[in-house]
Formats: sequence, C-alpha cells, structure tokens
Amino acid sequence: MTSIKFRLNGKDVAVDLDPSMRLIDVLRDHFSLKGVKEGCGEGSCGACVVLMDGYSVNSCLLPLANVEGHEIVTIEGFKETKQFDVLQKAFAEVGGSQCGFCSPGMIIAAQSLLSHNPHPTEEEIKAHMSGNLCRCTGYQAIVQAVEIASKKGAGLW
Amino acid sequence: MVEKKIAYTKKEALDFLANHDAYIIAGGSDMMVIKKNVAGYAPLFDKDVLYVSHIKELANIYEDKDGVHIGATATMHEIEHHKLCPSLLRKAISEVASTNIRHFCTLAGNIGNASPAGDTIVIDALLDAKVKLESVDGVRLVDAKDFVLGVRKIYRHPNELITELIFPKIEYTGELWFKVGSRRADSISKVCFAGYYEVKKNVVTKFACCFGAVAIRPARSKELEAKVVGLSLEELKAKQPQIAGDFAQIIAPIDDQRSNKEYRQTVAMNIFNKFIDDIVGGAK
Ligand SMILES: Cc1cc2nc3c(=O)[nH]c(=O)nc-3n(C[C@H](O)[C@H](O)[C@H](O)COP(=O)(O)OP(=O)(O)OC[C@H]3O[C@@H](n4cnc5c(N)ncnc54)[C@H](O)[C@@H]3O)c2cc1C
Ligand code: FES
Ligand code: FES
Repeated sequence: MTSIKFRLNGKDVAVDLDPSMRLIDVLRDHFSLKGVKEGCGEGSCGACVVLMDGYSVNSCLLPLANVEGHEIVTIEGFKETKQFDVLQKAFAEVGGSQCGFCSPGMIIAAQSLLSHNPHPTEEEIKAHMSGNLCRCTGYQAIVQAVEIASKKGAGLW
Repeated sequence: MVEKKIAYTKKEALDFLANHDAYIIAGGSDMMVIKKNVAGYAPLFDKDVLYVSHIKELANIYEDKDGVHIGATATMHEIEHHKLCPSLLRKAISEVASTNIRHFCTLAGNIGNASPAGDTIVIDALLDAKVKLESVDGVRLVDAKDFVLGVRKIYRHPNELITELIFPKIEYTGELWFKVGSRRADSISKVCFAGYYEVKKNVVTKFACCFGAVAIRPARSKELEAKVVGLSLEELKAKQPQIAGDFAQIIAPIDDQRSNKEYRQTVAMNIFNKFIDDIVGGAK
C-alpha cells in the first residue's frame, strides 16, 4: 500500500489506503468527516462535494490517488472561515436549507463559485449550482442565498 | 494481486503500460462509476490500474502550425475557459456534466470512454481533430472520427496512452452547437448536433455538420457536405427538404431509457433544419 499525502482542512495528512478508494469513503470513514454526504454515489447530486485546490469536486468520483499533493477542504474545515459565516447566514435568511442534507455540498459549491466569480449573475449561479440537487427547497431560495452572500460578503471573495 | 500505479511523468506512464495491461484513470468520472463498489469499499478492478491525472507535462494547451494541442490531463474546466480552444468545443464542454465534474474530468477521458452519448466526440469528429497516442514504441496519430470504433471501443493498443488531441485551425463564419437533454447538469445527450459554415457573396463556401447520440459513433458525411458547398443561399433554401432527407439517412437512433428512436430522429432533423435556416437567414 502506498502512502498518499495531501492537505486536509489545513493540515498535512498521510494515509496508507488503497489508492483507488473513493475520497468520500476516506473522508467519512477514515477521518470521520460526516459533513460529506453520499446521495447518489455517481456524480449526479453534489451532496459529496468538497473543495480541491479551491474548486468544487465530487468526492464520490475521485479516487484517493488523484488527491495526492492537493489541498482538500470539507465543510468542517470551511466552517472556520468568514466566508462560511456569510454563506450560512444568507442560507438561513431565505430558507435555503430545510432538511440540510444537500447544504454542505451547496455551501461548498457556492464558495467555489464566489471565490472565482465574486459577483455572479443569476444565470451564472444557476449554471454553477446545477450539479447540486435539493429535494426540499425548490432551488429559488438557494439562488437567492448565493446572491445575498455575494452582496453582504463583498470584498471577502 | 492488482497493481496500482500513480504516474507523475509521461515516461513513468509509458513504462508501466509497456509491461502491464492496465485500466487508465484520468479524472475518474466514468471509471469510478463503472467500477463502483458498495459504499466504504474500494472500486473493484480486475486488472492493474494506472492513474495519470498528476502528469503535468500532459496538461498543456498550446498552438503551433498543426493547430491547437490539448493535453490529455487538462481538465474540461481549463479547456472551457482557454481562449485558444475552438469555440464549438468550449460551448459543448460548458454543457458536459456539471461544473463540479468539469473541474476534474478530461477531454481524453470523454473520447476514451467512447459513449455514443459523449458530447465532445461530436466536436472532435466535426473539427477533424487527431488523437495522439504514445507508447514506448513511438507515436501514432489517429483521426478522432476513426478512433471511436463502437460502444466503449477505441482504437488504442494496450501499451498506448492518449497524450493529446490536436484541433487544426478552421476558419468559418457561423456555427451551431445544440444539445437536447433532460436537465442542465448530469444531462446525458438524447441528441446533440454541431455544425459550421462559411458564406461568401451569397454562396456556401464551407459546410460541415455532425450528429451525436443518434448512432453508435458520431454521424458525419463529408460526401453529403460536399453537395451543399457551392450552392447559393436561394438554392440551399429550395433544396432544403431534399438535403435534410439525405442527412436523415446517416443517423440511426435507437430506443433507450432516455428516449425513443422516433423522438430522436425528429429532434435531430429539427436541429438540422434550424442549422440550414440559420445559414439561409444569415445568422452567425
Ligand atoms: C453525473 C455525470 C454526468 C455526465 N455528463 C456527461 C455529459 O453531459 N456529456 C458527456 O459527454 N459525458 C458526461 N459524463 C461522462 C464523463 O464525465 C466524461 O466522459 C468525461 O469526459 C470523462 O473524463 P475523465 O477524465 O473523468 O475520465 P476517466 O473516467 O478517467 O476515463 C474515461 C475513459 O477514458 C480512458 N482514458 C482516460 N484518459 C486516458 C488517456 N490519457 N489515455 C488512454 N485512455 C484514457 C479511461 O481508461 C476510461 O476508459 C458524465 C458523467 C457523470 C458521472
Ligand atoms: S454522492 Fe457524489 S454526487 Fe451524489
Ligand atoms: S434542504 Fe433537503 S435536500 Fe436540500
């Protein structure tokens, strides 16, 4: 077994696991990061999304091998940031989270968008977030939450 | 025991492939689904595995006299936002899977997967792209349209790695990319279509088009395209039903879980007719 090294939530980590393990299983089972959710397990729902070098990626599709040397941030790591604070309040303000299952993935996807495009249009938000499914909110509130975060957090991204 | 190798250089990858019949994994967005196991367990591989996403020398996008070279490990996200890449390719990529997936999946993986519903293989065929394959024995260039042999079948020798796709520069005045799927992300094509044309002094001087998801491989006929070149816009309008009838023969849609063949045939020809209407109407 080869040792795979990467940065996880700001710390250097090394794991001796099968490099073909899915990142989601490594995060949930090995590091107990249960904020990473498994919905479909096939890339369709976005519940498992984490940041890799600042970009949202589906951890259910990523083999551990591909993570070597990269920086992974899960919702647990992102929770410590000012950007999270703004996004969380915006989601709460408009009811962008109900059962909450999709919320970690939604927030991470929103962070990926805002950090590369701090003032997205409604169309850009919809296009970017379309890989994240929500069974509860009907999406409008989520799009609004990202718009609010973009305004209230101006300068943070 | 299955061996798993993470390659950091092209040489490491080619040396490994010289001695191992291995699955190649780039982004993994196809392979990790195909080989999926139950949650908590590693995917099941029945032979060796080579991971190539860390090979930086294959992530370059550059232009030379042969055209635009897109390295096999460049992500779709990088290609989508790269000004050198052909605009039809960038448009098609902007509708592949989701933004999240495009952050790590590759163009080489799309043609490597050889799905009849693959989007970018339609553009590869339309723009006469070439697939560059390398092995310890040397380099091979294969026309993208001949590289896909059938459903999940490609013209790759076991010791070869796709190292880049090369798009020759093609000048034209108008283009169309049209994809019909069921939702914006994760929307596997039911039908897709790409075409370009050039009109000079009221005469069609270039015309090419390719259908996707309506045959085992992208469907294109250079013979039929040649019959359109040289027509005046009036002639094109007058002959439109006949031309559409001829092009309808090159597609062979099937029924599957996404839609039936009648739907696909009708939609494909509606898009084709829109393309002709665009040309006649002078749309860019
Ligand atoms: C939810 C979801 C939605 C999707 N939506 C679309 C869509 O809308 N349109 C579409 O076209 N596709 C779609 N796909 C399919 C997939 O994302 C694409 O085919 C993608 O381009 C594959 O790239 P990858 O790097 O992830 O491939 P991988 O899974 O790593 O590889 C795919 C295949 O290519 C081979 N391969 C990869 N790199 C090389 C190389 N350098 N040399 C030789 N062989 C190689 C692999 O061996 C494998 O057979 C979707 C997939 C998912 C999971
Ligand atoms: S669990 Fe990964 S996208 Fe659904
Ligand atoms: S809040 Fe329940 S799935 Fe989105």
